[in-house]
Amino acid sequence: MQLFKTPNIPFLKYKYIALALTVALILAGVVNIAFFGGLKLGVDFGEGTLLRVMFKDPVAVGDIRQLLSDIGLGKSTIQETGEKGREFQIRAMQVVEPGDSDDELIEAHQALADKIIKALRGDQGAAETERGLRDLNTIDERALTALLESSFPGSGPEAAQRIISYRTMSGIIARYPDLADLGLKPELVESLEAQTYLGSLSVRSRETVGPQAGRDLRRKAVQATVWALLGMLIYIAIRFKLEYGVAAVFTLAQDVLVTMSIYSFTSREINLPIVAGILTIVGFSINDTIVIFDRVRENIKIRRREPLEQVMNLSLNQTLGRTIITSGTLLLTVGALYLFGGEVINDFAFVMLVGTVEGVYSTITLSCPVVLYWQKLFKPKNVRNR
Amino acid sequence: MRKNLQWKVLFTLVVIIGAVVLAYPPGTKIRRGLDLKGGIHLQLQVVTEDSINIETDQEIARMAELLKKNSITFERASKEVPGRYSVSGLLADQEGKTRDLFDEYARDWDHSFTGDRAVLTLKPLVAQILSDQAVEQAKETIANRIDQFGVAEPLIQRQGADKIVVELPGVDDPERVKELIKVTAVLEWKLVKAGPAADEAALLQPYGGQVPEDAEVLKGDPKRGQSGFFLVSRVSVVTGKDLRTVRRTTDEWNNAAVSFSLNAEGGARFEQVTGENIGKQIAIILDSKVQSAPVVEDRILRTSGGVIRGRFTNEEADDLVVILKAGALPAGIKYLEERTIGAALGADSVRQGLVAGVVAVLAVMAFMVFFYRLSGLNAVTALVLNVVILFGALAYFKAALTLPGIAGIILAIGMSVDANVLIFERIKEEQALGKGILSSISMGFSRAFTAIFDSNLTTIISAIFLFQFGTGPIRGFAVTLIISLVANMFTAVFVSHLLFDLTVKKTAKALSI
Repeated sequence: MQLFKTPNIPFLKYKYIALALTVALILAGVVNIAFFGGLKLGVDFGEGTLLRVMFKDPVAVGDIRQLLSDIGLGKSTIQETGEKGREFQIRAMQVVEPGDSDDELIEAHQALADKIIKALRGDQGAAETERGLRDLNTIDERALTALLESSFPGSGPEAAQRIISYRTMSGIIARYPDLADLGLKPELVESLEAQTYLGSLSVRSRETVGPQAGRDLRRKAVQATVWALLGMLIYIAIRFKLEYGVAAVFTLAQDVLVTMSIYSFTSREINLPIVAGILTIVGFSINDTIVIFDRVRENIKIRRREPLEQVMNLSLNQTLGRTIITSGTLLLTVGALYLFGGEVINDFAFVMLVGTVEGVYSTITLSCPVVLYWQKLFKPKNVRNR
Repeated sequence: MRKNLQWKVLFTLVVIIGAVVLAYPPGTKIRRGLDLKGGIHLQLQVVTEDSINIETDQEIARMAELLKKNSITFERASKEVPGRYSVSGLLADQEGKTRDLFDEYARDWDHSFTGDRAVLTLKPLVAQILSDQAVEQAKETIANRIDQFGVAEPLIQRQGADKIVVELPGVDDPERVKELIKVTAVLEWKLVKAGPAADEAALLQPYGGQVPEDAEVLKGDPKRGQSGFFLVSRVSVVTGKDLRTVRRTTDEWNNAAVSFSLNAEGGARFEQVTGENIGKQIAIILDSKVQSAPVVEDRILRTSGGVIRGRFTNEEADDLVVILKAGALPAGIKYLEERTIGAALGADSVRQGLVAGVVAVLAVMAFMVFFYRLSGLNAVTALVLNVVILFGALAYFKAALTLPGIAGIILAIGMSVDANVLIFERIKEEQALGKGILSSISMGFSRAFTAIFDSNLTTIISAIFLFQFGTGPIRGFAVTLIISLVANMFTAVFVSHLLFDLTVKKTAKALSI
């Protein structure tokens, strides 16, 4: 099956339009970041605490905001993640003065997380704790085993393990009768009911990064990107020619910038996986670029008399089918990840989705013109430059 | 069948079977990262200055002794900053003698003289070695404590010059673990001179408001029900280093407590001191906080040991036992980063990752078979093999599978067909030029190879830098990406070519592509 006969689109004619579009997108991103607070740094880069929580019963975002405003944290971002209004992601905004030391900051961030969890739990559970009951939704396996072992010697470890794995599967235990299906003895469930209570909240994850670690990670992210680009420049310069390396890296750098610009217009935050996503886009985009350059390299040998521009256009058209098919399969997988991959990986999937499309566009429209421009700039006397 | 084909088939089978054996069953053979398993990730920094500080204090005490012994007159030896101290009030005519003494006995220190004052600075190289030892010791101590605490498959690694990463799968009580790791755990028994008193002034009243030379003021630990201030002697009777055994016990009021016994040397000292100080208080001090200050009622025999009381909960008593067994930290630590992932979230991530993976595989398979017919089936085989080899390699290298790692596998699925697409498109072009089927296939593979090689290698370059600078989950992503790119060269080029050789007959009239 053939996607289409080898087309004859004059791609190189559109280079200025493409360049204008790229510049416009990047400028829009810069303005958005500089003046409208776009591109928020996530918790990985040293900005406080990220909590993921799950409630026993559905809760409205407004209610959570009210609870947080009551303790002076109304500015936190609250995002509903799971279905049925039970799962939320809360990003506590920095409340500490910038003059504070790193140590104080991380302590403050941690205290903040504790404060939020306490506020979300509310009074609920206080009376039970007073009576010496344990929260079955937060108790760890070790403590639960000990608890069960004291009234049911010999069956503690197994029962505890079953209860905990049920809690792991469902996220939170909503009602005691749910435990009856686990094959536990009714009297065991009864005694559990007498010794524990079901807390309204389960903390699915909490992440706090101190300013020092955040700075570290920021530096590493920039280093990784710069070194990766440099590595590619060198490799391509060796395998092809310097101008091809320059063109590839130019294309990739604009991939990074345009993707980040677009990303800055969403409410998503920059975290480590986003950096990984951007580097992966770089990796994929370079694939496309190399396939085209490889074809140019091959065609130059066959078509010695034609100008380079024409050879490039031909190569772009010859490889177009492959470029579209490959990007298509990649989009299928990235799309699957975006739709089904879950909340934790969703930002990553989104950035990949944007970058995959953007990478194809930049490869086709920008990589070849840069080679030509570079040659015109540095080797103007040599008419038939290859 | 041609002879070299036999070898190729055999080689391919060996690789496949090897990968399957390594990775089966994946549930137990593939190590899951913290983000999938749930657990605690901590990054902490060792305050290496502490160990320099201790070294300086010890050096000052030792040097003062040495100077006296060699009858060199001086006023005082005092610390300026950690790693630097000065000796003042030296006599001019003793300078040569003093220099010789420094040269001989303080080789780790650089010294300089100005007037009647000598300044000694720890040599940078020595300071670095000390810092390094402190980090290494801290790592060992933390590992010991975690080990005693009982965590399956903990990971305790040094990172950079002074950082340690601790990963504890399956634990989700960060506060308890952090406390357990952070306690410096210097345990000392010291004689009480006065106290407890409500404040320092009241405590020091009998001494005219001055802390006596041989004593120091310590606070009680409110957590242990000790309030107020104590004046204790500087010298300790015994320390944590003299402990032989420690275990949890209960005191006469049925509260949790910690019992201990001492080694021969410490026991003898303890027996002697308690014998001489019947009726006086002896303070049990942990990290400069008085835990309890019982009255010595009788001489405590060297073999009998004792009990540390202080309204412990069972867990607190357990943790104290762990800490005492594992020994003291050589320097303080502070936390830089803390991540706790609940097991439930990890399980969700695995489930969702699986769904996304299956959808991705099916979509790509359907596309390839629809588009390239039987040749597409060839590519699909290569794709499946790629994933099998990837899992085999993950099991072999004991690399952890993380959530970004799963994303990496899914991306690899999308990418791995790229090589085949390149080859197939090339075969079509060759056919369009009027070449025969077999020669089109072989030309397609050889012409497409340089592009496949160059493009995979450049992507590997970016993945290597990602691995180099990334941490935890991101490394997992880089690892899966690198492995699958390498495996891709094998499956999409070698195996796929082999499949064509095996299935396309010389007499074939048309190629299903």
